[in-house]
Amino acid sequence: MMPFPATLAEPRAFSLAEKLLFIALATTSATAFWLRVRGIFTKILQSKKDPGFRPSPVGKRLRDFVWEVLCQAKVIRERPLPGLAHAFVFWGFCAFALVTLNHCAVGLGAGFLAPSHGFGQVYFSAAATFAVACALGIFGLLLRRFLARPRWLGAKLSWESGVVALLILALMATYLAAFCVADGGNAAHLLWWAHTLVLLIFLPLIPHTKHLHLLLSPFSVFLSRGGFGQIPPLVGDEDFGLVAGTDLTQLVSLQAYSCVECGRCTEHCPAANTGKLLNPKEIILDLRSYLNELGPASEVPLLEKLTAPQAPFQCTTCGACEFQCPVGIEHLPILIGLRRGAVNTGAWADERGAKLFLALERGSNPLGIPAAERDKFIQKQGLPIFDGTQEYCLWLGCMGAYDPKGREIVANLSRVMNYLGTSYGVLRRERCTGDAARRLGNDLLFQQLAEANLETMAQYKVKKMVSICPHCVRTIEQDWKEFGTPPAVEHHSEFLARNAERLPRHESQEKLVFHDPCYLGRYRNIYDEPRAVAALAGKLVEAPRNKERSFCCGAGGGQAFLGEETGERVSHARAAELVATGAGIIGTACPFCHSMLRDALNSSGEHAPQLLDIAQLAARGLPES
Amino acid sequence: MKIIVAIKQVPERDARVRIDANGQWSPEFDQQYALNEPDAYALEEALQLKEKHGAEVIAVSVGPERVAAALRDALAKGADRALHLQCDAVGSLDALGVARLLAAAVKPENADLLLTGLQSEDLGQGQTGVILAELLGLPHASLIVRVEKTESGFTVKRELEEGWFQCIEVPAPAVLTIQSGGNKLRYATLMGIKRAKAKEVRRIAATELVKLPAPTAILERVTLPLKQKSTQMLTGSPKESATALIEKLKQEARVL
Amino acid sequence: MSGIWVVLETREGSVSRMSWEAVAAALQLSAIVGLPISAAVIGAQTELLAAELAANPITQAVNKLIRIEHPLLGEYTADGFSLSMELFFATEKPSYILFPHSYQVRDYAPALAARMGQALIGDVIAIDDGPVFTRQLLQGRLNGHYRHSGDGPCFLSVQAGAFAAQTEQAQPASSATEVTLFTPTLTPEKIRTKPGTPFRAAAQSVDLSAAQRIVSVGRGIKDAEHIPLAQQLATALGAELAGSRPVCDQGWLPAERQVGSSGNTVAPKLYLALGISGAIQHLVGMKGSQCIVAINQDADAPIFEVADYGIVGDLFEVVPALIEALNAAKQL
Repeated sequence: MMPFPATLAEPRAFSLAEKLLFIALATTSATAFWLRVRGIFTKILQSKKDPGFRPSPVGKRLRDFVWEVLCQAKVIRERPLPGLAHAFVFWGFCAFALVTLNHCAVGLGAGFLAPSHGFGQVYFSAAATFAVACALGIFGLLLRRFLARPRWLGAKLSWESGVVALLILALMATYLAAFCVADGGNAAHLLWWAHTLVLLIFLPLIPHTKHLHLLLSPFSVFLSRGGFGQIPPLVGDEDFGLVAGTDLTQLVSLQAYSCVECGRCTEHCPAANTGKLLNPKEIILDLRSYLNELGPASEVPLLEKLTAPQAPFQCTTCGACEFQCPVGIEHLPILIGLRRGAVNTGAWADERGAKLFLALERGSNPLGIPAAERDKFIQKQGLPIFDGTQEYCLWLGCMGAYDPKGREIVANLSRVMNYLGTSYGVLRRERCTGDAARRLGNDLLFQQLAEANLETMAQYKVKKMVSICPHCVRTIEQDWKEFGTPPAVEHHSEFLARNAERLPRHESQEKLVFHDPCYLGRYRNIYDEPRAVAALAGKLVEAPRNKERSFCCGAGGGQAFLGEETGERVSHARAAELVATGAGIIGTACPFCHSMLRDALNSSGEHAPQLLDIAQLAARGLPES
Repeated sequence: MKIIVAIKQVPERDARVRIDANGQWSPEFDQQYALNEPDAYALEEALQLKEKHGAEVIAVSVGPERVAAALRDALAKGADRALHLQCDAVGSLDALGVARLLAAAVKPENADLLLTGLQSEDLGQGQTGVILAELLGLPHASLIVRVEKTESGFTVKRELEEGWFQCIEVPAPAVLTIQSGGNKLRYATLMGIKRAKAKEVRRIAATELVKLPAPTAILERVTLPLKQKSTQMLTGSPKESATALIEKLKQEARVL
Repeated sequence: MSGIWVVLETREGSVSRMSWEAVAAALQLSAIVGLPISAAVIGAQTELLAAELAANPITQAVNKLIRIEHPLLGEYTADGFSLSMELFFATEKPSYILFPHSYQVRDYAPALAARMGQALIGDVIAIDDGPVFTRQLLQGRLNGHYRHSGDGPCFLSVQAGAFAAQTEQAQPASSATEVTLFTPTLTPEKIRTKPGTPFRAAAQSVDLSAAQRIVSVGRGIKDAEHIPLAQQLATALGAELAGSRPVCDQGWLPAERQVGSSGNTVAPKLYLALGISGAIQHLVGMKGSQCIVAINQDADAPIFEVADYGIVGDLFEVVPALIEALNAAKQL
């Protein structure tokens, strides 16, 4: 490359004709850019307002902005090499801000940064370093897209990406070349014009391609909903969720236009990874196409315009997509919003779904089992009844009350709580927390369940709850808030971890791999507590996809109740991954994960590892009682 | 076409069974209620006929204030309007009494088709629909799993014992009692509930409808059944337990 | 008052077992109220049947036997049967009229009772001093004790299996039962519905939800090669073969035979679970079965909690013993 400290050559003075030509071209380019941008901004601003959106706390938003946008942290962390390459391109762009301004000023004869000395010299040299990094970065990304062809970028080659990459290379090349030519010479002049033309071609391309994210992603990151998997409330009598264009809100529109088509969401989607129709990236791009074609005032149903209308109902709401997105797209409220639109209007006519809703409408649990069975279990297990005097209300949930393995988990937890001397009781009657109804978008049913439960909580003066199920915990803590004030609730891993020191260890050299449940990990940010408990009874090893990148078991989003999956089963894929670690024990912290993995391990036939909940692991060290 | 669906609100299946000091039971003892499941199937049948042929579907129910919730549920699922025959002491009426109230209320409607569920989940008499037909002087058929509209009336598929079925031609107007399981039930939706707010619910006091003679079938008292479900474990050698099992299945359970 | 009447229903030319049970119930009632018992058969051609019945010692308990006969009563119709019986009972003035609680009776008896200003007390499981009639409420969770009030006849229908039908008469016959013919005036336009010929559901490969008996296998069957053993038991019982999810997942049985939350929901009279642990996903699909039998090696298997009868043992020993015993019983 260039030997530094060469200086940036500037063109000789421009004639009036040249200046006019420049102005004309620049105006054309800027107008093309602006018209398109304005159209998009209009669409975003004309979309419905987001109910319940609160800009504060601003501190967190600023922190996220600095970390994710400026530092490119998520971009690099989740895909290190391509992420770093992209970071260089981005930082290059940032560094070039003044360069570009000065470049245009020079065209009008008003250049303000002298390259030959002082700040100008330092700045242009620094920018040159960035230019090299940027050029290498974009070149690497170009090779990746067109030669390596990772499948998450899509089957079709994106020629516009190629064109933009070449334009960026040209920008860097024309800049760096200007260090090698004589100041004021013909070459410098030509280079200036070359750089300008590339710039003016690039500018309008930005809003017409996914490179719109250059403008929008700082906003989409900054203006997040303020919670993971946050489901907005419905407003008024005519709001049923995302039914048509008129239901798309400003945040949804903004996010749809911000999509960079990187495919990280799809790459981590359990449905997409097991051959289902659901492709989160495709859904976002379908919404973008809808906005482009029909706009935010259209009454055409959104599902009709999706590439795969059934896709939203294959979602397990695991949140891997939302977690991965580098530009802050929140897929969960979008997917659940689409489900709401179909379910709240009765358009979703799935047989099992109807069966689930009917079971919840008339009974206390989604399995359709008489409540007397729960009473029998409580009696047989000798669980104390909550009477307002105990410290904890132990929430059984449907799995804890009716599923044999769930019951075992509860039994073990109660053993541990007895050993620790913690007072607790179970409610005489529970109704389903409504998790499945909530994630499937049945707001009528969810409201009925939440309100009935909140009334019970108030009636029995429940202050603190502990539950074995992350779905219950999430729904109680976050989703019930829409209809009242839920009691404080924690997951049993949090309770056990806090008391881990008092629990005797079960000395074992057995390798133990912990499967992070989606609703405990990504939704609640709890990764260390269950591991602290699991470590009481084994030697921890990690699965390739662990912690925030944990691969769903397949039960979430109501899927556990919707019956058979087509094609490869999500649970089988995950079970295979866990077995491959060579661990003798698989640790879980969610009764649904436990159930799904148990089924998967059973059908694999051969010598499967033991499957134990952390409550069972914690109880292992207890003296026989 | 005008279709009337008579629905009953019954205590929730999970509700605890309560007997008072006098050995009495009343549906009013409970706090949680639900729509009687066979009636939900009757409503579903009506709604499907409405969707196929166009009809006005009217839900009607006899009972105290609490019954309004069941009627609202029916409206939310797609019924066009409702009739609430207010009767606080519905638990003391026999099937003939309830049918008399229904007949008096629906007669002026001149419906083409009247549907009820086969039987209720609380009393399980299975008579109201048949008696209603008799009181209205209309033909009827019971245990119906499918209804098809024809020129002159309806072709219905009736369930017989042991997996047999029969098709019956029934002229309109007629009364049908609907068996569970014939259709897929629809779930209540938010949209349905919101739309239901604008639909008419007409209340008529039972006393204004017709004077009822004294009931002839009187529920004096209730008791808990002595035999609770308990598992009988059969022991001994495989041969012994096998023989014992067949014996039990023949004599006790009477399924062989 | 002409006492207690029992309406006998015929099935393929002979009186149904349920009707004999109604006669047994009538005997019990007769002992309480001290009234004589009469019986009626109804149809288009009842002469031969009535003659048979009259000679049958069991019918000795019955004083009079009435043949309600008319060409229009060949096929069952609600109009035909209610009208005929209304006409007949108008002449008799019975105190009690008993029916077996069959599908047919449920279709016309309430209407008949209503015509006579009465509400039928249906599906009775016990008759006690009073007389007090017991029937089940809340799907078996409560017993309701009913009394009849007023002057009109008391209509009763009797639950299948609640009263033991007498198969033999203890004492020898004293005299033949008196048989009388009653011809109701019926005209075709009075019978408003047209019944078709009964048929079975379209033959799909298997309709588990319609099966009256099911033999279901779980992982305890260990391998596909043992399925024929279960099939033998099913055949011996006249049952359909079904399986839990793991069995169907492995392909040992086709998916359509799966019972459980992701398969079929069944409620047969008899459900025999072989080597099934009783995971909730399976229970949800069969808990409505009338009689559940479980055979499993594990005494703690959850299936035993819902079973009516349980055998803790090796199914590979118990099942052959069952098959043998069943086949032997058939030889008798």
